[in-house]
Amino acid sequence: MAQLTLSHVSFTYPQTERAAVCDVSCSIGRGEFVAICGATGSGKSSLLRLLKRELTPLGTLSGEIRFMGTELAALSNADAAAKIGFVLQRPEQQIVTDKVWHELAFGLENLHIPQEIIARRIAEMASWFGISQWFDRDVSTLSGGQKQLLNLAAVMVMQPDILILDEPTAQLDPIAAVDFLNTLRRLCTEFSLTILIAEHRLEDVVPLCDRLLIMEDGALLHDGAPRDIIAKLRQKPEILCAMPAAARLHCALELPAPCPLTVREGRDMLETRYCNTVRALPQNTPVRNNAAALTFRDVYFRYGRHEPDVVSGLSLEVHEGEIFCILGGNGSGKSTALQLAARLQKPHAGDIRVFGKRLKDYKNQSLYNGCLAMLPQDVQTVFLRNTVAEELAEMPEVQLPFDLRHLYSKHPYDLSGGEQQLCALAKVLAQQPQLLLLDEPTKGLDAHTKQKFTAILRALQAQGMTIVIVTHDTELAADCADRCALFFRGNVVSVDAPRKFFAESSFYTTAVSRMTRQFFDNAVTVEDAAALCRRNQRRDLRDRDCQ
Amino acid sequence: MRSFAAYNPFVLTVYFFAVSGFAMFSMHPAVTCISLLGAVLLRLTRGGVSLRGSMLLLGFFLLTALINPLVSHHGATVLFVLNDNPVTLESLIYGIFASASMLSILCWFGSFSRMMTRDKLLYVCGRLSPKLALVLSMAMRYVALLGQQARKTAQAQKALGLYKEDSLYDKLRGGIRIFSVLLTWALENGITTADSMAARGYGIGKRTHFAIFRFTRADGALLAAIVLCTALTLSGAGALSHSFYPYFTVSASTPLAVCSLISYAILAILPLCIDGKEAIRWHSSLSRM
Repeated sequence: MAQLTLSHVSFTYPQTERAAVCDVSCSIGRGEFVAICGATGSGKSSLLRLLKRELTPLGTLSGEIRFMGTELAALSNADAAAKIGFVLQRPEQQIVTDKVWHELAFGLENLHIPQEIIARRIAEMASWFGISQWFDRDVSTLSGGQKQLLNLAAVMVMQPDILILDEPTAQLDPIAAVDFLNTLRRLCTEFSLTILIAEHRLEDVVPLCDRLLIMEDGALLHDGAPRDIIAKLRQKPEILCAMPAAARLHCALELPAPCPLTVREGRDMLETRYCNTVRALPQNTPVRNNAAALTFRDVYFRYGRHEPDVVSGLSLEVHEGEIFCILGGNGSGKSTALQLAARLQKPHAGDIRVFGKRLKDYKNQSLYNGCLAMLPQDVQTVFLRNTVAEELAEMPEVQLPFDLRHLYSKHPYDLSGGEQQLCALAKVLAQQPQLLLLDEPTKGLDAHTKQKFTAILRALQAQGMTIVIVTHDTELAADCADRCALFFRGNVVSVDAPRKFFAESSFYTTAVSRMTRQFFDNAVTVEDAAALCRRNQRRDLRDRDCQ
Repeated sequence: MRSFAAYNPFVLTVYFFAVSGFAMFSMHPAVTCISLLGAVLLRLTRGGVSLRGSMLLLGFFLLTALINPLVSHHGATVLFVLNDNPVTLESLIYGIFASASMLSILCWFGSFSRMMTRDKLLYVCGRLSPKLALVLSMAMRYVALLGQQARKTAQAQKALGLYKEDSLYDKLRGGIRIFSVLLTWALENGITTADSMAARGYGIGKRTHFAIFRFTRADGALLAAIVLCTALTLSGAGALSHSFYPYFTVSASTPLAVCSLISYAILAILPLCIDGKEAIRWHSSLSRM
């Protein structure tokens, strides 16, 4: 039986002409795992909010939304709150109370459920989610991934029939994100819970989901099984670029169906369809022997006297004019190293030089004027004013490699994640830095915006800027880095050009590299793999010709 | 089998108010002595006491005890004359007892704050008003969140070269800018929190107040003991009499007064008894293991 039915749903925000959601009809059955994707502003968030009565924005709604056969507006308050669970994007701001156990109990308290039942339900849920170890802790001591898991558990204790999630992994690192998505898949298969998720990290979601909905300009463009949908997306590169690497490779090579979704299926596709007589692309990595832009020499740092070293014995050299990516797990000290370079923390021992000059020899603000600038992870901390125009007006005017004029009248907080990132970058660039430090610049960006951002970084590099990026995003590093470094326990364990770096690591690497391992050499991006495939003969065609 | 600190927070609160309240309102030397003994022993046995803190308390005790005879010249027994001012025995004794009383109250509150962690305090508030408890819990969450955001913003602005720390004026200006943007940030992010609350049914009707602390039979027994001791102490309190000036006299000879002092002494060493019993039990169960 269809659990949720939408018929001809349209929605327009007040004082706007264009409908945010435009004539959407679909029906979702019990236990389905449905992913919604589309570019920023395609109306997926608005659609999801229409499905949760308490979060429905102001505006005019037409059409009909039915949940278990009842119209949404006719549900009782308690049913509307409990039966439809909703998890939002920002893990931090969704948490209401200060203790983990209290957060779990919050929803049930609101439903006026007796103490004993609450105690039982949260005990059950805490065990299932494996959060009983941090049951007593303050929520402020949790990591981002733990916070989002807590948000999910706090919704699950209310025993919903359907779970709606609006970009729940956008603010998480890749490992926490995969954990979170796998938990969702388990909920779906083990409890036959219906899941409706809007995401742009589709690499991991698409293989998990039963159905894919594609939205464009408020309308539902496609609705069906992922493999069928992706085949129809060849004409839409801005949506296709978010799909899993195997699917993108399949589309780039214009192969016939079925479309592979996972690394394993991608590998099968390569092996059955292509020879590997040409194993590697000709490499022309320019050898740079420029002067050092940033040097660490035996740097040690810890946050408190009795705490362990966060950065321990770090030695590292970044050359002028290169894009240098630092990868590594959570808590490996890579963000701290960036803060040390920006003089936001002082090392206990060792020497840090920027353009050959020691950090402490930069007097007053001279380090931050035309020399070094840092874009923090949380870009909202960059904004101080009420409009983008005011933000940029307080900085000296410079030529930017991108245009922001269409955003000038908006409040920085009202921009989308990608727009905020660009606006913050503009503010950072106004100091005309020679060395740019970026902390997780692609967190929360959709794939299309990420491509634009990469192009901007390349343009800045062409102007002679040195860029150091701390990131979890292997695709970004593979795309734009000149050299990559792996951080582990406060130190760099390996530095190499991206092709070599990713070909040698088996876990911290791109999906394409995992797919082509021991079949091709040094292929790390979809473009690499596609180029290699084109140079090789088609095995399936050759076999057919022989017969 | 549990330590005193593990009893229901409500019982602990009643206990600390009773024991320190009586010490606060009675200046009877015997009461002060009992209170000081109980408080200091509890402080020492609970552990986690720094030497520096203890030295500070001792210094405070000596200072306040010695200031009184220098300032107040009441009393009949003159010890010696300092700068044409008589220093009297009674004034010295008063100083010592007043300071001992203050010291004991400081020690009681020290132990109270160490035992009553934040969630226990919230639980006690929640028993008085569930709404207040939720508001306090949310406020504490926001204090942590705002502090974190303020630090991050200051660092981001510094790395932009906008936040100068060269002079006091610059620091002040930077601080004001960050404060004003934090307000906007809090409002903006408050919307997400409000959404999250509404999505989980906040405001649809009556709420339960859930707490992880249980009120067990042992809690009831302890509470009864505390109430009984306090009642006995108070009922005999009228019979306690003492004076510091002009002569230092203490009387507690009536049966009622003796009963009052004994029950107060029991009250004061109650935590020590409970912890001692637990220590012995653990010891014996360990030796059997």
